[in-house]
Amino acid sequence: ILHLNERICPIKLFGGSQQQEAVAAESEPEPLSIFRTQENDPACQSEKHFGQYYTLPSAHVRTVFPHGLPMRYKQQVKTFNEACMMVRPPALEVISSLKKTDNSKPAVRYLFYGLKGSGKTMTLCHTIHFCYTQGWLVLHVPDAHLWVKNCKELLPSSFNSSRYDQPLQATEWLRNFRITNEPFLSKIKTKQRYVWTKRESTEEGSTLGELVDQGITRVKTSSDVVGAVMKELRLQSGQPESDFRLAVAVDGVNALWGRSTIRKMNNTAVDPEELTLVYNLRKLMKNDWTGGAIITTLAQTGAVYTSKYSYLPKELLGEKGFDSMDPFIPVSVPNYSEKEFESCYLYYMDRHWLQYPHSRTEDGKKELIFLSNRNPSMLERICGFH
Amino acid sequence: MAAHTSRAFLSLGRINVPGLGLHKSVSRVTYSTGLSTDSSKATTGSPQKGGKKVLSKKYKREPGDPRTELMPVDQDWTAVYPVATPFIPDAIPLPVRMGCPVKGGAPPEKKGNLELIKIPNFLHLTPAAIKKHCEALKPFCTEWPSALDTDAKCDEHFPIKVETKSYVSAGPSIRNPAARIVHLSVKLSSLNLNDQARKKMLKLVGDRYCKDTDILTITADRCPLKQQNYDYAMYLLTVLYHESWKIEAWEAEKTVADMEEYSWEGSLSQENILDVLVRMKEAGEGEGEEVREQLLGRREVQEYKDSVTRLKNEGENESTMLQYKEAVKKVLKL
Repeated sequence: ILHLNERICPIKLFGGSQQQEAVAAESEPEPLSIFRTQENDPACQSEKHFGQYYTLPSAHVRTVFPHGLPMRYKQQVKTFNEACMMVRPPALEVISSLKKTDNSKPAVRYLFYGLKGSGKTMTLCHTIHFCYTQGWLVLHVPDAHLWVKNCKELLPSSFNSSRYDQPLQATEWLRNFRITNEPFLSKIKTKQRYVWTKRESTEEGSTLGELVDQGITRVKTSSDVVGAVMKELRLQSGQPESDFRLAVAVDGVNALWGRSTIRKMNNTAVDPEELTLVYNLRKLMKNDWTGGAIITTLAQTGAVYTSKYSYLPKELLGEKGFDSMDPFIPVSVPNYSEKEFESCYLYYMDRHWLQYPHSRTEDGKKELIFLSNRNPSMLERICGFH
Repeated sequence: MAAHTSRAFLSLGRINVPGLGLHKSVSRVTYSTGLSTDSSKATTGSPQKGGKKVLSKKYKREPGDPRTELMPVDQDWTAVYPVATPFIPDAIPLPVRMGCPVKGGAPPEKKGNLELIKIPNFLHLTPAAIKKHCEALKPFCTEWPSALDTDAKCDEHFPIKVETKSYVSAGPSIRNPAARIVHLSVKLSSLNLNDQARKKMLKLVGDRYCKDTDILTITADRCPLKQQNYDYAMYLLTVLYHESWKIEAWEAEKTVADMEEYSWEGSLSQENILDVLVRMKEAGEGEGEEVREQLLGRREVQEYKDSVTRLKNEGENESTMLQYKEAVKKVLKL
């Protein structure tokens, strides 16, 4: 697989619109300049980069997204050996709002909504990448639906007997949280004493890292540890003495107010409110804390008891969810525009993903447009066969 | 000589056979000349048959032109089809075709077409025939009141409309059970109802009300006679009107879930936004109630209220979502 980035001569102009003559002979220099941009820092991207792909450094991919990227995109990254993401208007809109956030004001909530496969999770990942490069603490819940279905172990909570714990999901999340936020773990100190059992407790003033380790090693208490972590971060962010800003990113936020498929021992359904993880996450979703932002996405793909065709906020969140999230800023993520489609097509051609010569013709392109309706995920799947 | 005779007889036979069957023996002799009597006896069967065949062919006159050829264009059609009659191809001067088309061809023509005869036709009810019916009925009718010349005036003076159907048919009985159904329709705007009464009426009535045309339709068919059903429908209307004006004690327990429309005052949305604004310290200094009043009076908050109400009442689509987004951005000063 060609690494065209490395073959470019060092003279690179901002936006990469210069003709690259040192590029290998098989691909024309023109497409390279149109669909790629050299601006890999999300903070510096602007409208002129719309539709262009920027590369995520592989170190960032390992740390920021241990569990956040969509499955098919992860496979694509492995195949192409690079992680390229398209710069699209919804992401830049939220990023520009994030740049202007005031630390003293309550957290603003953003909600990405759109048709199935239109790129909501990818937009969320782009925003998270921005937050990471700016040094924010990222609290990323990759798929809230995983917490309300397919639970193998359900323990009654020791902290509050009416609630239920999910140790496996909690430990996995804590592990990934640790990978993403290594630098903060030693800086943030707890403000409260937590008692886990008669013999184990976490003293006041111990670092966040210790708290997280406690949760990972002692699996039984992991859900409560998650709750403690969220509470600490919520209380401390925005305070004058703490120097970090908190970004809460939740994918599939409609799971928090929907129904769950988990059943209790007596075969009655568990309300999501009765799950510790969901209960604590809901507290984070409220905008009663300052110094950060809450960026969320709706997801129908993993949702239970929802229609396949619903994608609008009120339908997926329900009355309760909408009232809890209100007021929020809904950001629509549409299918690819013509320019974005061109860019994606050229990218796949450049990566030799479109194998057949028919797809290089105008007719082939029209066929792709017709079959996929410019829906990003459909296009990706269809190009695999073309 | 024999040949001559035969020839003569032949001609004789030919002339006489169509008319009369008298020269049986002659024809036999004519055809069996040169054959012995024995053979003639032997071949008795076939000439006999042939003779019978020839004889059963009675005189048949050729069918003439169909009547349609002789019909003038400006004839009186009501005379051709005065009553409901099956389709007669020769009496209808139209080149109608009906049925399954032959492959690569057209549907079969009307002559001898059973399909056209099977179906009911309305050739006896042409506009000219209807005009004649109306003229015949006119002596039994009264004039339409001249003051009621527009639909609006009719609605104003006669808001209740009663629709009934009566049936006439020839059969052993003149009664038709479908004639007892009575539809009573009235516009709710013509009834004197206040807000509470209107909402109660809508809840009582349910499906019988059409939101687009604001018409309440009561259908009565439970009594055997039309007059009884009409009385029952009027009674129902009266009862509905009076009941919707009454306020029961338990109506005070109406919850948010029972409300027909979303009202923003006192809702969670209002609490949230006021909470947020207070925390953002937008209002400046002040005590609880005043602060709330002041915040509510702001233009952005009013816009936000409108957008949320519209979203909840109308449902969501792109335009309502965009309006909500703009309103939230303004309120949160982004």
